[in-house]
Amino acid sequence: MWLKNKKGRIDLKGLRFTDLLITIMVGIVFGVIMKFWDDLYSVIKPIMPVARQLLYGMWFMVGPFAMLLIRKPGVAIIASLAGASLSAFIGHGFEVLLYGLVQGLGAELIFASFRYKRFGIFVAGFAGVASCFAGFFLDLFYGYAALEAWALFVKYGLRVISSFIFTGIFAYYIVRALEATGVTNSIRPVSKEDYESLN
Amino acid sequence: METVNDQQEQHSNTIGVTNLRLKFPGERSLLFKDLSFEAKDSEKVLFLGPSGCGKSTLLQVLSGLIPNSIEVPTRQDTIQLPKSYGFVFQDPDTQFCMPYVDEELAFVLENLQVPREQMDERMDDVLKRVGLDVPPHSRIDDLSQGMKQRLALASVLLLDPDVIFLDEPSALLDPEGTDQIWDSVKEVSEDKTVIIVEHKIDHIADWVDRVILFDDSGHIIADETPEVIFEQYQSEITEYGIWHPNVWEHYTASESFKAMMKNRQSSTVDLVKDTDRIVHLQQFKGFYGKKEKIHVEEASIYPNSWLTIIGDNGAGKSTLLLALMRLIQASGNYTIHGKAVSLDKKDKTPPKELSFVFQNPELQFIENTVKDEVAFSLQIQGLSTKKVEEEAEHLLNAFRLYVDHEHHPYQLSIGQKRRLSVATAFAHHSDILLLDEPTFGQDAKSTYEMLEQLEELRQQGTTIVMVTHDMNIVEHFATDVWTVQQGKLLNGKDTPDEKCETKVGTHHESI
Amino acid sequence: MNLFDLFTPHKKTWLYKVNPAVKFVLFFALFMIVFFNQHYQFTMNIMIMSALLLFLFSGYRLKRLLLFSIPIVISIFSTAVTMILFGKGETIWWQWGIIKISEESFYKGLLLGFKSASFGFLGLVFLLTSRPVMLFYALMQQLKLPAKFAYSFMAALRLVPIIIDELQARSNAFKVRGVTFSKGIKGIFERLRLYMLPIFAQSIRRAQRLAIAMEAKRFQIGADRTYYYPTTYQPIDGVFALLLISLSLGAYFLS
Repeated sequence: MWLKNKKGRIDLKGLRFTDLLITIMVGIVFGVIMKFWDDLYSVIKPIMPVARQLLYGMWFMVGPFAMLLIRKPGVAIIASLAGASLSAFIGHGFEVLLYGLVQGLGAELIFASFRYKRFGIFVAGFAGVASCFAGFFLDLFYGYAALEAWALFVKYGLRVISSFIFTGIFAYYIVRALEATGVTNSIRPVSKEDYESLN
Repeated sequence: METVNDQQEQHSNTIGVTNLRLKFPGERSLLFKDLSFEAKDSEKVLFLGPSGCGKSTLLQVLSGLIPNSIEVPTRQDTIQLPKSYGFVFQDPDTQFCMPYVDEELAFVLENLQVPREQMDERMDDVLKRVGLDVPPHSRIDDLSQGMKQRLALASVLLLDPDVIFLDEPSALLDPEGTDQIWDSVKEVSEDKTVIIVEHKIDHIADWVDRVILFDDSGHIIADETPEVIFEQYQSEITEYGIWHPNVWEHYTASESFKAMMKNRQSSTVDLVKDTDRIVHLQQFKGFYGKKEKIHVEEASIYPNSWLTIIGDNGAGKSTLLLALMRLIQASGNYTIHGKAVSLDKKDKTPPKELSFVFQNPELQFIENTVKDEVAFSLQIQGLSTKKVEEEAEHLLNAFRLYVDHEHHPYQLSIGQKRRLSVATAFAHHSDILLLDEPTFGQDAKSTYEMLEQLEELRQQGTTIVMVTHDMNIVEHFATDVWTVQQGKLLNGKDTPDEKCETKVGTHHESI
Repeated sequence: MNLFDLFTPHKKTWLYKVNPAVKFVLFFALFMIVFFNQHYQFTMNIMIMSALLLFLFSGYRLKRLLLFSIPIVISIFSTAVTMILFGKGETIWWQWGIIKISEESFYKGLLLGFKSASFGFLGLVFLLTSRPVMLFYALMQQLKLPAKFAYSFMAALRLVPIIIDELQARSNAFKVRGVTFSKGIKGIFERLRLYMLPIFAQSIRRAQRLAIAMEAKRFQIGADRTYYYPTTYQPIDGVFALLLISLSLGAYFLS
């Protein structure tokens, strides 16, 4: 339940079931879209390493996108994990679960540090970059990061740029477009003004 | 947020609310302003009103789903929620969370903490009561839509409800499914309070005790027995597009329909010659992957005709449209105006002589405003900006889209969305308009508006090809009928149909 | 397509009878060990072990298993190659411009390739021998996964075929309406936006309706519940655990 204290702020009492199911749905839709994206990506993968890294931001989009859309605490991490679970379900192995969880956590922390009040381009972009760093952290253990310095720099540098573009710019504007359809009205926190206008 | 339960009396089976105020977040005005309603024990009540007047929302308030499950600002003086209720919703595909019938029913029993040993017996019992004669471990996706609604009703019965809420349970069903669900409802609900929102009232008009009539702004304008309502509020009922038992009779007796048909007779060109046909198909097949899904021995589409394609669910009607549009792989002979259409695998460009209207309009919208949506179709034909502007305005008015043209297409009503999707397809000025069930799930008013619109286009020279389940449309509007059965076109004649004479009353046996 | 029965085995082997939650935890633990481990030899042994589990005990015909394995084998090479060519290292074997193969990069490359294949095989064994619904029931009962997550996930999964149909319809709609996209990054944005808009709008509405329908069926967050499929620990779970642990230990001591 979302409870409101006297200042009309939202206390973190967890998500309603509707919120949770929508969040998981958003994650799963992303999982499906990423499956198709993966097909496109696999074509580019071997031949164009730079383009490949520039498209990598797509993998960080789900958490920030869900948060921009729903604007409730916990949404980024849950959506990210749900998207990863769908990928795992259709055969992408266990590692996507770990990446999904940690990347979602990275994005969530950024929104949390702004107390779930700022959902602009920069906060969204930073959330994507945080996801990217979280992924980099895992790559260190996986072994992907043991590259020559220049290669490391190019690979992850491009990835950071890409994650900002995909989450800061793309996710932000796609959510704006979704707002215009009216679908976000019923899923975001209800404001104090909405209650007051009953009088 | 205030809780509402403390005002609830636990003893009476009456449910109701007094002076309800409700406003959706982001909307400018209140949906309900001081609305009161009460239903007595085992009363059967029908809510009638125009789309969007808040009937379904009221059901959710009366059940307590608003605000407990859906956060919507509400306030009322008193509210009496049912002790136990069940809810059947409109869309058969968004009511179930599990893949199999038994697992879905088990979900309800688990929620109620019924011990495992008692589950099987209770499932069998409710399946029998709603007349759903399938093995419990059947896949829900394999059930027909009507059977799915029966399953939803079976879940409701597991809750042992005093009150059953039905939110347009037959709106998305074909005639057979509609029969099924209402038969089951009547069977199981004698001793229960039933509150129904529905536009298709053939089956329930004389079954309910009370009808509540709403207006556009969510006010109750009448609360009477069905006899009184159907006698005294005829014009409202027509205005709201209710599918009452005599709706086609009234419609075909109306001046506007007669005028249209008179026009049709005078404008219909005499029998066209074979060579005039637009589309000719021979040994035409459509495939999903490598599977043959539709086979047409031989068939033609003639100019100015209104061709309806009928057949059971899954028979291959929509597949035929997709194959004609070159959206799935096809083989055989396919000519348009005598020229062969390439059926090459690589080239999947839809023929420019054909336009297609999808069943779900939202999937075909691509712009952010109503006007741009139509303008897009015009722009790609290379018209000048000024011309596009003029033509778009003209089309929007011609299709009776009298809304703010800067509105987002998704914010239109369902009827308006459908009309907009036809407008965008028509804007391509193709010879043939293909439509996949364009009136499905719509109220009577929107249906007639759509049909009249299409007839107008036809009289101006566009050929109409549409998939439908509605035999009334076939009877009153079609000039040609194709029947598709199990992936085969049965009667794709090679000569033009004898127009309207043979049609009336002869097509009922074809389904 | 039905995601709940994506994979149907030829015969149900003993691996099916293992409690899916036990299987999940053990596989995940093994996955974590391999993930953080840096010895290519151990990883290779685990890869072989996982492949053996898959080919001997999954109960699928060899032809299908080989088909399933193709992407995994490819992934060994695709992940290894970049590392072998660009990885850092001191003992240089061969160099040409910016490409440099060193002893360290070579073994790191092998490590990556083997890891990726181990995860692939492990994941496949798990997927091919566990029915999703049973996994969630076991996770709820043995691992106390809150029912709200289990049921929202299953509910959302049920709608995946609709999402795929809609993506297909959307792609058809672009053809019918004559939509063309820009080149480069702008084109990617246009595509994403035009695909995502209706799919998300519809999915969100659908999820909302579904959640309400589930609550109308008295689903309540945190409430106690009974289970249609009671899952418990069985002796076979212990056998499986022992087998997996001894195989892993074997893989360790052989490296």
